[in-house]
Amino acid sequence: MKNFIFGFLATIVLILIVPLIYLRLGAAEVRGDVRAPSWESRLTQFALHASVTRRAQRIQNPLPHSDEQLIAGGKMYLDGCAGCHGRPGRPARNRIAYAPPPEFAHVGTQYAEPELFWIVKHGIRRTGMSAYGSFYSDQQVWQLVEFVRQMNNLPPAVFDAIQPKRP
Amino acid sequence: MKKFLAGSLCAIIFLAIALAAYLGLGFMDVAADQRPSAREAGFMMASLQASVRRQAPQIQNPLANSDDTLIAGGKLYLNDCVGCHGEPGQPPSEFGATFYPPAPQFPSAGTQFSEAQIFWVAKNGIRLTGMYPQGASYSDSQLWSLAAFIRRARNLPPAVVKSIQPPPSK
Repeated sequence: MKNFIFGFLATIVLILIVPLIYLRLGAAEVRGDVRAPSWESRLTQFALHASVTRRAQRIQNPLPHSDEQLIAGGKMYLDGCAGCHGRPGRPARNRIAYAPPPEFAHVGTQYAEPELFWIVKHGIRRTGMSAYGSFYSDQQVWQLVEFVRQMNNLPPAVFDAIQPKRP
Repeated sequence: MKKFLAGSLCAIIFLAIALAAYLGLGFMDVAADQRPSAREAGFMMASLQASVRRQAPQIQNPLANSDDTLIAGGKLYLNDCVGCHGEPGQPPSEFGATFYPPAPQFPSAGTQFSEAQIFWVAKNGIRLTGMYPQGASYSDSQLWSLAAFIRRARNLPPAVVKSIQPPPSK
Protein backbone atom coordinates (compact mmCIF):
# COMPACT_ATOMS: atom_id res chain seq x y z
CA MET A 1 0.00 0.00 0.00
CA LYS A 2 2.85 2.34 0.80
CA ASN A 3 4.34 1.70 -2.61
CA PHE A 4 1.00 2.33 -4.27
CA ILE A 5 0.62 5.74 -2.61
CA PHE A 6 4.21 6.60 -3.37
CA GLY A 7 3.73 5.73 -7.04
CA PHE A 8 0.50 7.75 -7.17
CA LEU A 9 2.03 10.89 -5.66
CA ALA A 10 5.30 10.67 -7.57
CA THR A 11 3.41 10.45 -10.86
CA ILE A 12 1.21 13.43 -10.05
CA VAL A 13 4.20 15.57 -9.12
CA LEU A 14 6.03 14.46 -12.25
CA ILE A 15 3.11 15.22 -14.57
CA LEU A 16 2.71 18.68 -13.07
CA ILE A 17 6.39 19.58 -13.06
CA VAL A 18 7.54 18.26 -16.43
CA PRO A 19 5.46 20.77 -18.47
CA LEU A 20 6.81 23.64 -16.37
CA ILE A 21 10.39 22.55 -17.03
CA TYR A 22 9.59 22.03 -20.70
CA LEU A 23 8.23 25.55 -21.00
CA ARG A 24 10.91 27.22 -18.96
CA LEU A 25 13.70 25.65 -21.01
CA GLY A 26 12.25 27.20 -24.14
CA ALA A 27 11.40 23.86 -25.73
CA ALA A 28 7.86 24.94 -26.59
CA GLU A 29 7.05 26.03 -30.14
CA VAL A 30 5.70 29.59 -29.98
CA ARG A 31 5.32 30.51 -33.66
CA GLY A 32 1.80 31.52 -34.55
CA ASP A 33 2.00 30.99 -38.32
CA VAL A 34 0.84 27.39 -38.35
CA ARG A 35 -2.52 25.87 -37.63
CA ALA A 36 -3.04 24.09 -34.34
CA PRO A 37 -3.26 20.29 -34.70
CA SER A 38 -6.86 19.20 -35.04
CA TRP A 39 -6.93 17.29 -31.74
CA GLU A 40 -5.84 20.48 -29.98
CA SER A 41 -8.40 22.72 -31.70
CA ARG A 42 -11.12 20.22 -30.95
CA LEU A 43 -10.16 19.97 -27.29
CA THR A 44 -9.92 23.73 -26.82
CA GLN A 45 -13.16 24.40 -28.76
CA PHE A 46 -14.89 21.83 -26.59
CA ALA A 47 -13.62 23.35 -23.34
CA LEU A 48 -14.32 26.89 -24.54
CA HIS A 49 -17.86 26.04 -25.54
CA ALA A 50 -18.52 24.37 -22.19
CA SER A 51 -17.12 27.35 -20.32
CA VAL A 52 -19.05 29.96 -22.30
CA THR A 53 -22.29 27.97 -22.03
CA ARG A 54 -21.85 27.83 -18.29
CA ARG A 55 -21.17 31.53 -17.91
CA ALA A 56 -23.86 32.76 -20.31
CA GLN A 57 -26.74 30.65 -19.06
CA ARG A 58 -28.60 33.46 -17.28
CA ILE A 59 -28.25 36.08 -19.99
CA GLN A 60 -31.23 36.99 -22.14
CA ASN A 61 -31.45 39.20 -25.18
CA PRO A 62 -33.68 42.18 -24.28
CA LEU A 63 -33.80 43.59 -27.81
CA PRO A 64 -36.54 42.88 -30.31
CA HIS A 65 -35.40 41.24 -33.54
CA SER A 66 -35.78 43.82 -36.25
CA ASP A 67 -34.08 45.08 -39.37
CA GLU A 68 -33.10 48.27 -37.56
CA GLN A 69 -31.14 46.30 -34.97
CA LEU A 70 -29.48 44.27 -37.71
CA ILE A 71 -28.48 47.38 -39.62
CA ALA A 72 -27.06 49.03 -36.51
CA GLY A 73 -25.17 45.83 -35.66
CA GLY A 74 -23.98 45.38 -39.22
CA LYS A 75 -22.48 48.85 -39.37
CA MET A 76 -20.59 48.25 -36.14
CA TYR A 77 -19.50 44.85 -37.38
CA LEU A 78 -18.06 46.22 -40.61
CA ASP A 79 -16.30 48.91 -38.64
CA GLY A 80 -14.86 46.92 -35.76
CA CYS A 81 -15.03 43.18 -36.45
CA ALA A 82 -14.72 42.58 -40.19
CA GLY A 83 -10.97 43.15 -40.18
CA CYS A 84 -10.46 39.80 -38.47
CA HIS A 85 -13.79 38.01 -38.95
CA GLY A 86 -14.44 38.82 -42.62
CA ARG A 87 -17.15 40.69 -44.49
CA PRO A 88 -20.39 39.12 -45.61
CA GLY A 89 -20.42 38.60 -49.36
CA ARG A 90 -16.64 38.41 -49.69
CA PRO A 91 -14.53 35.28 -50.15
CA ALA A 92 -13.00 33.72 -47.05
CA ARG A 93 -9.35 34.64 -46.55
CA ASN A 94 -8.46 31.57 -44.51
CA ARG A 95 -5.49 33.23 -42.92
CA ILE A 96 -3.04 30.91 -41.27
CA ALA A 97 -2.89 31.60 -37.57
CA TYR A 98 -2.77 29.65 -34.37
CA ALA A 99 -6.37 29.92 -33.21
CA PRO A 100 -7.50 31.74 -36.39
CA PRO A 101 -10.51 34.07 -36.01
CA PRO A 102 -13.66 32.37 -37.35
CA GLU A 103 -14.92 33.78 -40.66
CA PHE A 104 -18.55 34.11 -39.66
CA ALA A 105 -19.81 34.80 -43.16
CA HIS A 106 -18.57 31.36 -44.20
CA VAL A 107 -18.57 29.11 -41.16
CA GLY A 108 -21.36 30.73 -39.15
CA THR A 109 -21.26 30.12 -35.43
CA GLN A 110 -22.46 27.41 -33.13
CA TYR A 111 -22.93 29.86 -30.27
CA ALA A 112 -26.35 31.16 -29.29
CA GLU A 113 -26.99 34.88 -28.88
CA PRO A 114 -26.42 35.06 -25.09
CA GLU A 115 -23.14 33.17 -25.54
CA LEU A 116 -21.96 35.50 -28.27
CA PHE A 117 -22.92 38.43 -26.05
CA TRP A 118 -20.74 37.07 -23.28
CA ILE A 119 -17.80 36.48 -25.63
CA VAL A 120 -17.91 39.95 -27.17
CA LYS A 121 -18.12 41.56 -23.74
CA HIS A 122 -15.44 39.51 -22.02
CA GLY A 123 -13.23 38.31 -24.85
CA ILE A 124 -11.51 34.95 -25.06
CA ARG A 125 -8.33 34.40 -23.16
CA ARG A 126 -5.19 33.44 -25.10
CA THR A 127 -6.68 34.33 -28.46
CA GLY A 128 -6.82 37.52 -30.50
CA MET A 129 -10.38 38.09 -29.24
CA SER A 130 -10.07 40.96 -26.80
CA ALA A 131 -12.78 42.11 -24.40
CA TYR A 132 -15.07 44.75 -25.90
CA GLY A 133 -17.18 45.43 -22.81
CA SER A 134 -15.49 48.77 -22.23
CA PHE A 135 -15.95 49.97 -25.81
CA TYR A 136 -19.58 49.07 -26.57
CA SER A 137 -22.76 49.49 -24.55
CA ASP A 138 -24.77 46.35 -23.78
CA GLN A 139 -27.30 47.41 -26.36
CA GLN A 140 -24.64 47.75 -29.03
CA VAL A 141 -23.25 44.33 -28.18
CA TRP A 142 -26.73 42.81 -28.58
CA GLN A 143 -27.08 44.48 -31.97
CA LEU A 144 -23.71 43.07 -33.00
CA VAL A 145 -24.69 39.63 -31.79
CA GLU A 146 -27.96 39.58 -33.71
CA PHE A 147 -26.07 40.56 -36.82
CA VAL A 148 -23.41 37.87 -36.37
CA ARG A 149 -26.08 35.21 -35.83
CA GLN A 150 -27.90 36.18 -39.02
CA MET A 151 -24.98 37.16 -41.19
CA ASN A 152 -25.42 34.25 -43.56
CA ASN A 153 -29.07 34.91 -43.95
CA LEU A 154 -29.47 38.67 -44.11
CA PRO A 155 -32.58 40.29 -45.56
CA PRO A 156 -31.42 41.94 -48.82
CA ALA A 157 -32.54 45.34 -47.53
CA VAL A 158 -30.23 44.99 -44.54
CA PHE A 159 -27.33 43.85 -46.71
CA ASP A 160 -27.73 46.91 -48.90
CA ALA A 161 -28.19 49.30 -46.01
CA ILE A 162 -24.92 48.42 -44.31
CA GLN A 163 -22.71 48.76 -47.39
CA PRO A 164 -20.51 51.83 -47.14
CA LYS A 165 -21.86 54.69 -49.21
CA ARG A 166 -19.98 55.49 -52.40
CA PRO A 167 -19.11 59.18 -52.53
CA MET B 1 7.46 -2.30 -7.65
CA LYS B 2 4.23 -3.67 -9.03
CA LYS B 3 2.30 -1.58 -6.53
CA PHE B 4 4.31 1.50 -7.38
CA LEU B 5 3.37 1.08 -11.04
CA ALA B 6 -0.26 0.48 -10.16
CA GLY B 7 -0.23 3.72 -8.15
CA SER B 8 1.39 5.53 -11.04
CA LEU B 9 -1.20 4.25 -13.49
CA CYS B 10 -4.03 5.27 -11.16
CA ALA B 11 -2.55 8.77 -10.93
CA ILE B 12 -2.51 9.10 -14.72
CA ILE B 13 -6.13 7.94 -14.99
CA PHE B 14 -7.13 10.20 -12.10
CA LEU B 15 -5.53 13.28 -13.68
CA ALA B 16 -7.04 12.52 -17.08
CA ILE B 17 -10.53 12.22 -15.60
CA ALA B 18 -10.06 15.34 -13.48
CA LEU B 19 -8.92 17.31 -16.53
CA ALA B 20 -11.79 16.05 -18.67
CA ALA B 21 -14.30 16.97 -15.95
CA TYR B 22 -12.74 20.40 -15.42
CA LEU B 23 -12.83 21.23 -19.12
CA GLY B 24 -16.08 19.48 -19.99
CA LEU B 25 -18.06 21.08 -17.18
CA GLY B 26 -16.93 24.52 -18.27
CA PHE B 27 -14.76 25.44 -15.32
CA MET B 28 -11.89 26.72 -17.44
CA ASP B 29 -11.84 30.49 -17.07
CA VAL B 30 -11.87 31.98 -20.58
CA ALA B 31 -12.69 35.64 -19.93
CA ALA B 32 -10.07 37.99 -21.33
CA ASP B 33 -11.10 41.04 -19.32
CA GLN B 34 -8.87 40.22 -16.38
CA ARG B 35 -5.15 40.55 -16.02
CA PRO B 36 -3.01 37.42 -15.74
CA SER B 37 -1.64 37.03 -12.21
CA ALA B 38 1.90 38.30 -11.71
CA ARG B 39 3.08 34.71 -11.28
CA GLU B 40 1.44 33.54 -14.50
CA ALA B 41 2.64 36.56 -16.46
CA GLY B 42 6.20 36.17 -15.19
CA PHE B 43 6.35 32.46 -15.93
CA MET B 44 4.82 32.72 -19.39
CA MET B 45 7.05 35.64 -20.34
CA ALA B 46 10.17 33.79 -19.18
CA SER B 47 9.10 30.71 -21.16
CA LEU B 48 8.37 32.76 -24.26
CA GLN B 49 11.74 34.45 -24.03
CA ALA B 50 13.47 31.10 -23.62
CA SER B 51 11.73 29.78 -26.75
CA VAL B 52 12.45 32.89 -28.78
CA ARG B 53 16.12 32.84 -27.72
CA ARG B 54 16.32 29.27 -28.94
CA GLN B 55 14.64 29.80 -32.29
CA ALA B 56 15.16 33.38 -33.43
CA PRO B 57 18.18 34.09 -35.63
CA GLN B 58 21.15 35.63 -33.87
CA ILE B 59 22.08 38.13 -36.48
CA GLN B 60 22.44 41.85 -36.79
CA ASN B 61 19.79 43.95 -38.45
CA PRO B 62 20.87 43.99 -42.11
CA LEU B 63 19.50 47.52 -42.55
CA ALA B 64 21.66 50.58 -41.91
CA ASN B 65 21.52 51.80 -38.33
CA SER B 66 20.16 55.20 -39.32
CA ASP B 67 17.34 57.61 -38.72
CA ASP B 68 15.98 56.67 -42.15
CA THR B 69 15.51 53.08 -41.03
CA LEU B 70 13.79 54.23 -37.85
CA ILE B 71 11.53 56.55 -39.82
CA ALA B 72 10.56 53.83 -42.28
CA GLY B 73 9.79 51.47 -39.38
CA GLY B 74 8.02 54.20 -37.45
CA LYS B 75 5.62 54.90 -40.29
CA LEU B 76 4.71 51.23 -40.53
CA TYR B 77 4.36 51.08 -36.76
CA LEU B 78 2.03 54.07 -36.62
CA ASN B 79 -0.04 52.58 -39.38
CA ASP B 80 -0.56 49.09 -38.06
CA CYS B 81 0.85 48.41 -34.59
CA VAL B 82 -0.16 51.42 -32.47
CA GLY B 83 -3.73 50.21 -32.06
CA CYS B 84 -2.58 47.52 -29.65
CA HIS B 85 1.02 48.42 -28.74
CA GLY B 86 0.63 52.14 -28.03
CA GLU B 87 1.82 55.34 -29.67
CA PRO B 88 5.03 57.14 -28.70
CA GLY B 89 4.24 60.15 -26.55
CA GLN B 90 0.66 59.01 -25.89
CA PRO B 91 -0.91 57.14 -22.96
CA PRO B 92 -0.83 53.31 -23.23
CA SER B 93 -3.34 51.71 -25.61
CA GLU B 94 -6.65 50.91 -23.91
CA PHE B 95 -7.43 48.43 -26.65
CA GLY B 96 -4.15 46.57 -26.14
CA ALA B 97 -5.03 46.15 -22.47
CA THR B 98 -8.22 44.22 -23.29
CA PHE B 99 -6.30 41.17 -24.54
CA TYR B 100 -5.29 38.28 -22.35
CA PRO B 101 -2.31 38.41 -22.12
CA PRO B 102 -2.27 42.20 -22.71
CA ALA B 103 -0.25 43.62 -25.61
CA PRO B 104 3.11 45.00 -24.44
CA GLN B 105 3.35 48.79 -24.62
CA PHE B 106 6.66 49.38 -26.36
CA PRO B 107 6.81 53.19 -26.13
CA SER B 108 6.44 53.16 -22.35
CA ALA B 109 7.72 49.72 -21.31
CA GLY B 110 10.29 48.98 -24.00
CA THR B 111 11.15 45.39 -24.82
CA GLN B 112 13.72 42.84 -23.71
CA PHE B 113 13.95 41.27 -27.16
CA SER B 114 16.80 42.02 -29.54
CA GLU B 115 16.09 43.37 -33.02
CA ALA B 116 16.48 39.93 -34.56
CA GLN B 117 14.07 38.51 -31.99
CA ILE B 118 11.53 41.27 -32.61
CA PHE B 119 11.86 40.58 -36.34
CA TRP B 120 11.26 36.90 -35.77
CA VAL B 121 8.25 37.45 -33.47
CA ALA B 122 6.64 39.96 -35.82
CA LYS B 123 7.12 37.63 -38.78
CA ASN B 124 5.89 34.44 -37.12
CA GLY B 125 3.52 35.73 -34.48
CA ILE B 126 3.07 34.24 -31.02
CA ARG B 127 0.58 31.44 -30.68
CA LEU B 128 -2.12 31.69 -28.04
CA THR B 129 -1.91 35.47 -27.96
CA GLY B 130 -3.36 38.30 -30.03
CA MET B 131 -0.03 38.60 -31.87
CA TYR B 132 -0.88 37.31 -35.32
CA PRO B 133 1.91 36.49 -37.78
CA GLN B 134 2.75 39.43 -40.03
CA GLY B 135 5.03 37.60 -42.46
CA ALA B 136 2.36 37.56 -45.16
CA SER B 137 1.71 41.30 -44.89
CA TYR B 138 5.26 42.72 -44.79
CA SER B 139 8.53 42.09 -46.58
CA ASP B 140 11.58 41.08 -44.53
CA SER B 141 13.10 44.49 -45.02
CA GLN B 142 9.94 46.19 -43.72
CA LEU B 143 9.96 43.90 -40.70
CA TRP B 144 13.61 44.73 -39.99
CA SER B 145 12.83 48.45 -40.05
CA LEU B 146 9.92 47.81 -37.68
CA ALA B 147 12.23 45.84 -35.40
CA ALA B 148 14.73 48.69 -35.30
CA PHE B 149 11.95 51.13 -34.44
CA ILE B 150 10.35 48.96 -31.75
CA ARG B 151 13.71 48.25 -30.14
CA ARG B 152 14.19 51.99 -29.69
CA ALA B 153 10.56 53.01 -29.23
CA ARG B 154 11.22 54.19 -25.68
CA ASN B 155 14.20 56.24 -26.67
CA LEU B 156 13.67 57.69 -30.12
CA PRO B 157 15.75 60.51 -31.59
CA PRO B 158 13.53 63.65 -31.59
CA ALA B 159 14.06 64.06 -35.34
CA VAL B 160 12.52 60.62 -35.92
CA VAL B 161 9.52 61.33 -33.70
CA LYS B 162 8.93 64.53 -35.61
CA SER B 163 9.13 63.08 -39.09
CA ILE B 164 6.85 60.08 -38.49
CA GLN B 165 3.94 62.22 -37.33
CA PRO B 166 1.21 62.31 -39.95
CA PRO B 167 0.87 65.76 -41.50
CA PRO B 168 -1.67 67.86 -39.54
CA SER B 169 -5.11 67.46 -41.02
CA LYS B 170 -6.76 70.62 -42.25
